[in-house]
Amino acid sequence: MITMSPYDIMAPSAQRAYMMANEAIVRACLESDVKVFASYPGSPTTEILDTFERICNDMDVRMDISANEKVALETAVGAAMVGCRSFCSMKSVGMNVASDALYVMAYTGVRSGCVVLLADDPHAHSSQSEQDGRWYGYTSYLPMLDPSDPQEAYDMVKFAFALSERFETIVLVRTTTRINHQSAIIETSEMKRTPFSKVVWKDNRRNYSAVGELARKGKLRLLETLERIREHTRMTPFNRVEHFDGEDLRKGDPSAEDRYSFGIATSGVSYHHVVEALMRLGVKARILKLGMINPVPRDLISGFLEGLDDLLVVEELSPYLETFISSMAQGGYPNLKIHGKGTGHISEYSELDIPIVQSAISALTGAVIPFDHLDHMERMKELSRNIPPRPPVFCAGCPHRGTFTALRMALGDKGKVFLSNDIGCYTMLVLPPFSWSDSQLCMGSSLGIAAGVDLAAGEDVVSVIGDSTFFHAGLPGLVNAVHNGHDLTLLILDNSVTAMTGQQSHPGTEDAAGGRKGVKLSIEGVLKGLGVTDITVLNAFEIRKNIKPMKEALSRQGVRAIISRGECALYHFRRYRRSGARTVPFFIDTEKCKRPYNCIKDFMCPAISIGNDMIPVISPEICVGCGECAQLCGFGSIRSTAVLKGGEDRAYYTPEDYQDLQRSLREKREVVQ
Amino acid sequence: MIDGFNIIHCGVGGQGVVLMANILGRACAASGLRVISGELHGLSQRSGSVHVHQRIGDRARSPLIPYGECDAVLALEPVEALRYGHFLKRGGTVITSMRAIHPPSETLMLVKGEDERYMEYEDVSAALLSAGMALYGIDALGIATETGEPQAENVAMVGAICALPGFPVAKDAVISAIRDSVPSKAMEANLVSFEKGYERLSKDLRKL
Repeated sequence: MITMSPYDIMAPSAQRAYMMANEAIVRACLESDVKVFASYPGSPTTEILDTFERICNDMDVRMDISANEKVALETAVGAAMVGCRSFCSMKSVGMNVASDALYVMAYTGVRSGCVVLLADDPHAHSSQSEQDGRWYGYTSYLPMLDPSDPQEAYDMVKFAFALSERFETIVLVRTTTRINHQSAIIETSEMKRTPFSKVVWKDNRRNYSAVGELARKGKLRLLETLERIREHTRMTPFNRVEHFDGEDLRKGDPSAEDRYSFGIATSGVSYHHVVEALMRLGVKARILKLGMINPVPRDLISGFLEGLDDLLVVEELSPYLETFISSMAQGGYPNLKIHGKGTGHISEYSELDIPIVQSAISALTGAVIPFDHLDHMERMKELSRNIPPRPPVFCAGCPHRGTFTALRMALGDKGKVFLSNDIGCYTMLVLPPFSWSDSQLCMGSSLGIAAGVDLAAGEDVVSVIGDSTFFHAGLPGLVNAVHNGHDLTLLILDNSVTAMTGQQSHPGTEDAAGGRKGVKLSIEGVLKGLGVTDITVLNAFEIRKNIKPMKEALSRQGVRAIISRGECALYHFRRYRRSGARTVPFFIDTEKCKRPYNCIKDFMCPAISIGNDMIPVISPEICVGCGECAQLCGFGSIRSTAVLKGGEDRAYYTPEDYQDLQRSLREKREVVQ
Repeated sequence: MIDGFNIIHCGVGGQGVVLMANILGRACAASGLRVISGELHGLSQRSGSVHVHQRIGDRARSPLIPYGECDAVLALEPVEALRYGHFLKRGGTVITSMRAIHPPSETLMLVKGEDERYMEYEDVSAALLSAGMALYGIDALGIATETGEPQAENVAMVGAICALPGFPVAKDAVISAIRDSVPSKAMEANLVSFEKGYERLSKDLRKL
């Protein structure tokens, strides 16, 4: 039976199943008998966390959704130090947060298998930068694997656990968005899990400290371990030489008499672009496919370079492999020409694909491109040149739209403050209709940047941060602002979940990972504890009512916190509908509408479009009845559909309200009858 | 050109684009066909543009369909079908739901007088036909609504693509995959939507 239900991932037997790489990675962890998992959500790794959350109770995996990536890494490594196999996953920029710990943990090592997955995002599909995480492996001296497809991601995670356990070191697996979000048919193995039991630390006791002399000893041990790993992985099938004979991909080198002077070195998803580009061009080439990218297999690379006149290095982002190969080639292969980033054949910008790789190979070998993809794309793009873009927007019923509408009204002129934005759904403040953010950098930076702006500029500063980000990286910036006496308005958008990544729990929620009961930290309590005395709490959906308290807070001195509270619409209405209640949408009274378009301009709700006679209409299947738009209408023409049935004209029905509404409607019907 | 069948599934966030691709992916797996799919959604979980590259066949290795090598675009929204038109090969097929969902940014252009009217199915149709594509418009929402489950719009579209001559995945395998993918309370409506979508496209083909 082939499905993608959680049953597949937990099935004891081996199987061939269609699944997403992120699910296959979890399966590999389960087969490796992982006992502890910790993570903070972030695209493209979030489905790893979500899958673990679905299965952790059944599989008895002890799991935390951590406050941030550094804590997640420390949690996983802490468990591995005392003797429990652990796994941790994070997005590229998450590793920046975690790396302080990583560099030292490389020195101290671990007792049990510990694998850390970091996922880069070339093209910055859902990240704030295109950083290349491969250098983390090299600069921390930790072994790193770079899968080229979902099957290899699964295989490599299992291999990484074996390697980690054998050499008592963290092993890194580096993926990219095109791997994590790829689904394919995965061949899994049998799963035998041992029951969880707490380890006895005193039986396993050893010292994991690193400073001064201890650090120097750790460094020497690390260098020695890395060389042992280089030797141990010399024959790994993840590093291999293949050749394309003009028609098909073949294992190993071509026969000795058949000299190939052109070679390609590659790893990750680029490997598959290379093979398909060669298929189209029919070019003969030797291929070096690397999977273990730290330590690099020096012998294999040297052997591969033998006899080549031209080498093309095909990799995304920075010249990582190219740097190693170029430095190895110096001296030994004076006639070898190395092409790639250095020669401009492969860009350091964005992702690669078959057409890009094909062009590079064609430019070097003179092979004729049988079909010009780029020319075709240019011509066809003409067709769609005038189509409306569909950028991401705040959902119907999103509390942020109301909060920002009120903030803009409170300020009058949005240009008179420095708006220091942060990372979350509210990052979309930078997009139309608000097109508003003076800076938006990384998790928690809204507060640190505000301190600098306050020191240096005459304008007031407004920092915007969400609840999950506040706990993740906002706290040190806030402590700093309070202690140093900065003037800033801190707008905390509390929507009850880590919304952007799919509504996971965080320290401010009642639930913890896997539905476990957590302790809900009160944002007001945290603010008070950190010395903030000026705290205003607002209902995000009451736009009109919020303008005055916002104005007042903006005019005061010191750190003024405004908590704008309203549940994420996706989260709220999923639970709302599950409880059996139905949404009560709003409608536009065409008689009253004078078409000033306040509900469209500067608001852009996906439920509102233009109907007949240029009068706005609300789509009842999209509208959730938040009532924000009704507050912007000067003619009272936007009302709840409840009034059409004799109900009350009010916004945001709760399940209880809805039951009341149904009851009153029933009673009315009975009276009529 | 490489043998195999390349599909781009696309639509608006919340319409069930990924499920559409998963159903066909599972059906391929069950019938011994090799398949790889790469999904991409931007920052928005709702109302943004979503698309999945799906490649069926033994020679497909890259998760990205090269421009001009896509056999069929399966779209839940017509403007999205046109947005990914540059991936289609010459004479490629577009199967799209006819209901346009207008993005708020387009509405804004209308009220600002920067645009006169919304882009509709007819505009998309004219553009694709002028480029020599084979186009099939399906009233998928109408089909799904008739079954009492408007959400099954995506499954109606899956039914439609299965009726394409030479489509590599067997209808029965797709039906089994739907059974494995859809919640039981919506099963009947989804299976009916699938059949109606299949019939609808079969009928359009007979007219040709």
